[in-house]
Amino acid sequence: MTRSFRLWIYGALLLLAIVIPLVLHLSGNFYVVHVIALVGVYCILALGLNVTIGYTGLLDLGFMAFYAIGAYTGALLSIAGLSFWLILPVTIVVGGLARYLVGAPVLRLRGDYLAIVTLAFGEITRLVLNNYDELSNGPKGLPRVGEKIGAVNLFSFQFTEDIHFYYLILAFVLLGVFVSYRMEHSRLGRALVAIREDELAAELTGINVARVKMIAFVTSGAFGALAGAIYVHWIGFITPEAFTFWESVLLVSMLVVGGMGNISGVLLGVLILVGIPEVLRASLGSKFVDYRMLLFGAAMILVIIFRPQGIIPSRRRSRELKETGQETVQ
Amino acid sequence: MKLAGIIVSVGLLLALAGCGGTGEQVVKVALVCPLTGDIAAHGQGMKRGFEMAIEDANAAHKLGAAKIEAAIFDDRGDPKEAVTIANQIISDRAIIGVIGHLNSGCSIPASRIYEKRNVPMITPASTNPKLTMQGYKNVFRVCGTDDVQGSWAGNYVLDTLKYNQVVVVHDKTPYGQGLAEEFQKQIVARGGIVTSFNGIDQGEKDFKALLTRIKTENPQVLFFGGLYAEAGLITKQMKELGLAVPLMGGDGMFSNEFARIAGPASEGDFATMVGLPPSKLPQAADFLARYAAKYPGQDMQPYDPYTYDAATLLLDAYAKVNQNRDSLIAAIAGTTYDGILGRTTFDERGDTRNKQISIYHIKDGRFAYYEHK
Amino acid sequence: MFIQQLINGLTLGSIYALFALGYTMVYGILLMINFAHSEIFMVGAYVGFWVLSALPFLFPQITPLYLLIVFVLAMVVTGALAAFMERTAYRPLRHAPRLAPLISAIGVSIFLQNIIMLTVGAESQPYPQTMQLEQMEFGGIRLNTLQIFIFVLAVSLMVILQLFITRTKLGKAMRAVAQNHIVSQLMGINTNTIIAVTFFIGGGLGGVAGVLNGLYYGSIKYNMGFLPGIKAFTAAVLGGIGNIKGAMIGGFILGVLEALAAGYISSEYKDVIAFVVLIFVLLFKPTGLFGEEVAEKI
Repeated sequence: MTRSFRLWIYGALLLLAIVIPLVLHLSGNFYVVHVIALVGVYCILALGLNVTIGYTGLLDLGFMAFYAIGAYTGALLSIAGLSFWLILPVTIVVGGLARYLVGAPVLRLRGDYLAIVTLAFGEITRLVLNNYDELSNGPKGLPRVGEKIGAVNLFSFQFTEDIHFYYLILAFVLLGVFVSYRMEHSRLGRALVAIREDELAAELTGINVARVKMIAFVTSGAFGALAGAIYVHWIGFITPEAFTFWESVLLVSMLVVGGMGNISGVLLGVLILVGIPEVLRASLGSKFVDYRMLLFGAAMILVIIFRPQGIIPSRRRSRELKETGQETVQ
Repeated sequence: MKLAGIIVSVGLLLALAGCGGTGEQVVKVALVCPLTGDIAAHGQGMKRGFEMAIEDANAAHKLGAAKIEAAIFDDRGDPKEAVTIANQIISDRAIIGVIGHLNSGCSIPASRIYEKRNVPMITPASTNPKLTMQGYKNVFRVCGTDDVQGSWAGNYVLDTLKYNQVVVVHDKTPYGQGLAEEFQKQIVARGGIVTSFNGIDQGEKDFKALLTRIKTENPQVLFFGGLYAEAGLITKQMKELGLAVPLMGGDGMFSNEFARIAGPASEGDFATMVGLPPSKLPQAADFLARYAAKYPGQDMQPYDPYTYDAATLLLDAYAKVNQNRDSLIAAIAGTTYDGILGRTTFDERGDTRNKQISIYHIKDGRFAYYEHK
Repeated sequence: MFIQQLINGLTLGSIYALFALGYTMVYGILLMINFAHSEIFMVGAYVGFWVLSALPFLFPQITPLYLLIVFVLAMVVTGALAAFMERTAYRPLRHAPRLAPLISAIGVSIFLQNIIMLTVGAESQPYPQTMQLEQMEFGGIRLNTLQIFIFVLAVSLMVILQLFITRTKLGKAMRAVAQNHIVSQLMGINTNTIIAVTFFIGGGLGGVAGVLNGLYYGSIKYNMGFLPGIKAFTAAVLGGIGNIKGAMIGGFILGVLEALAAGYISSEYKDVIAFVVLIFVLLFKPTGLFGEEVAEKI
């Protein structure tokens, strides 16, 4: 597929992404718009996680913790009266900082240990949010009764409907795509590839492995926190139960199924694993939601065995995953 | 490949967008409650009460030629799910009102969403007072509230059971913690002693460490604000550790499931419940008989009659305004409804003025009526 | 109160220890974290539940033998499930990059949890009371027969396992494969069979742990495996992952730590203890208490 052809496709998709939700909103299909906006939030999250898993090759099982940190920071600041546009950069900084603190000890661990430790941090975050009432109001969630998440205003326009938030989310998705793309096609991106393929060799070629990993790690955390802040301003309500380990796993499975390391793959993964079940919920009812996780589990197993590079693979990743078939467990 | 995938996805979304619902003579009433999960017994009961109400309304042609349909949703007692379902409901313009939710932790966030599009919400079971303190005109409640329930329980413990040293445990949800706080407030205000105020997690199973510590505080009764799944385990483990004092709880615990989970350890435990038992209300006799006939062998759960009354009340109001959506909320607010539970009228906050409390205790593995206010 | 919490902790620790053995044995032989082992635990509890519910109807006469039947059946079913899991979801990935089996295991975990949830329902099931619970009291300390039974059973099974590993030929083969797959194969050991046996035994012990958990708490649920699974894994890591004695001791230590922390610090944060221990061990002493240093091959 030639480059210009691909650009045409992206342009067409972007146009559809702008126009279709508006049409849906105007024809009264509010719920579908709601779902599409939710897909958008997950896209931001998935793009963030992709930097860690896809580009750097580190399995992160606790990503939801940073989504939670972003959401709760956003909620608390909003309740305190801060404007949305000020909250965003603060949340990004807080998310990045939290990621830095976690990453410092954790990033030197080996693959599966790293995964488990990120899981542990993720669960600790959720448990603290669940129990530290004074801060987070525990399972009762934020905002507390009598408080409100502040409205989002752009100049004098107030965001009230799902469709308004959708365009806001879309803008940030595009930002996320842009940042991911630039990262991928930069020296940093190439350094990440080198680290992913062979960490020791990369170090020997002069790459400061620890620093590069940390940059990637912090960037992904910033994405996650950003998504959280946007989410809480949109939905207006959060509880710690929205940030469980299984949500982190869901995010990982989106990347696995869609194709990690590849921006289009990531977005497709989100569309498949979030968009379709949510819309089917409307027609098939709540029962379907029960089967959703079952299908995800099965999908994860099948994909990782038969097509580990995902539906839309990153070409490089494809080669990596196929080549390492030669390795033994020793 | 990628192109195909994206086109299919977009196509699917568009196709399903077509399911926005068309305008026919179908009037839908939504029921949202936990049909699965740890409080499923209560929710399934609500569903039964609801379905009876819809059937009766259709049989009586309450809305003339229009057919009334039940739209039933499972919120699993999870606030996030409740919010998602609320968004789904406000998008469906055939739904004229919502009966639900059960958990206050679900009703409160969901009510904010219903308020956005003026969809009336009548809850048969959420007892946290804060629900109606939000100032929303579309929120109503046909059951009692925890400020009444909690303080009544406090008085009962002090006056009737004559205990003045209690320990309080709650499940940190708006309902459980709210009820526990009201109880504690009353005990302390009247000079009793609350040895400690402890939170547990919903879904937790191991209370031994907590109960071991509580045992050293020598309470005379343990008050639990929460639901029957945890209550059952707490009373069981309590007795195993030698803390042989009664457990008392509220309507969330009021289910024979509690005794099933706890086994013989639950004998003598108490639960308060909002309202009077239907068996003591003459106007409920017909309902009880029909329920037993329609659902043979099924235990009637505490909120079934409330759900029935709430749904019938909603449809009556809708009929009264000749199916004019805009006047529906005002009609509900001004309604005087005589149903199974007696007369229901709403105060300025949307709460029913019917605020009686009963107390039950476990005898031979089932809840038996004890007395009422 | 201290002794009482200690007793709580040792009972809890017995369950963790049995549960941890599955993680450690699989890791020892395949260098893989069997994330789905927590679901093996859960399935064991449910098998026990079904058997205990059915037995009084099928064979009302042999009440004293119920527990024996339950444990044997639970062990066999969960062991078989574990071996099956290995064969279908892990063996194809034996030569894939390290993270692939972990991802597959997560998928298996989700799958099993949801299968059970969809068939049995999402609410907690009360466990049938089978044992005559004798309560004993020594100066304010409560002990019941179930707690003693759990402790004794766990320790006995662990002793049997240790003897099996060290004294039998099969055990020796397992140790050989854990050390070096290729050389073991050259010595005539069928590694695939040995791996399957390892999963079977580890899974079976996990299943027993599940039944014990159900009996002890009186309630089971489709998602009961996750949190205890992490804790059992922590115990295995604490003891030195791959080391069977380490897993047993790690289990007891973690159980006691948790009970004491819940009693003296805060019962709300007791789960955090396990996670904090896990992070600490992995960061500062990844080989655990009894593990050996494994040089990383380049």
